[in-house]
Amino acid sequence: MSDSTPQHQDQLPAHLNPKNYPQTRTHPSLNIHLTLTYTPLNPQTHINTISSPSAGANLLFLGTTRDTFDNRPVTTLSYTTYPILAFKTLMDIAENAVKEHGLLGVSIAHRLGEVPVGECSIVVGVSAGHRGGAFRGGEEVLEQCKERVEVWKREVFGDGGSEWRANGERDRDGNLR
Amino acid sequence: MATFQIHYFSIASSYINKNTEALPAPLPLNRLFDTLESRYPGIREKVLQSCGVSVGDEYVDVDEADGNKEGEGRVIQAGDEVAIIPPVSSG
Repeated sequence: MSDSTPQHQDQLPAHLNPKNYPQTRTHPSLNIHLTLTYTPLNPQTHINTISSPSAGANLLFLGTTRDTFDNRPVTTLSYTTYPILAFKTLMDIAENAVKEHGLLGVSIAHRLGEVPVGECSIVVGVSAGHRGGAFRGGEEVLEQCKERVEVWKREVFGDGGSEWRANGERDRDGNLR
Repeated sequence: MATFQIHYFSIASSYINKNTEALPAPLPLNRLFDTLESRYPGIREKVLQSCGVSVGDEYVDVDEADGNKEGEGRVIQAGDEVAIIPPVSSG
């Protein structure tokens, strides 16, 4: 679906104003840390936050912006969110992963606004006693984020067009469903 | 005039070229899509049919809102924060 950016910026709601970010939520007893921010993500921060002496496996996933979509050159990507829902969904995903995979910590951070090609748009960090839980839990968190979190990506192409993306159109290998 | 605020994202915001607006309240939830269709012809088929709707921090079922035969379906009240939620694309 081709489109243009909304122009009525005079009515910019609070959740679209970068001045109101970063925003964070934590669940201290489950060691869950959630971040939505317009500034570059620092992956090390998000693994440091959750690591602990009892966690022998610490997994860090970085999703970075890609320069093509269906072989069309992508020049710019930007993300928007609705934090009232996004944080609720992120916390649900993290809590479920802790329960199902015995995770000792979960950190999820998503960047907003324009993200230059090659930079991090999402960081998922999980820690567990052993690698099995970390791998399974980390993958589950990422797949759930892709499917559910109220964040939207807009790609601007080198030929001038732009499109809002929908994750449901593609599987984890990038193939059309 | 009493109003509620409605936020638009992704394909919804692009379709109407707005991020947010105030609409008159109260409004029965099962009238929401009709109201938007009358303001933005074509939006139901091109956008809304693939979207969720939230009131506050809860998703609501627009179709079930008219399921109550007594006509006591949910009503959007003045001051409510409503959002049109298109398919997501995080990551």
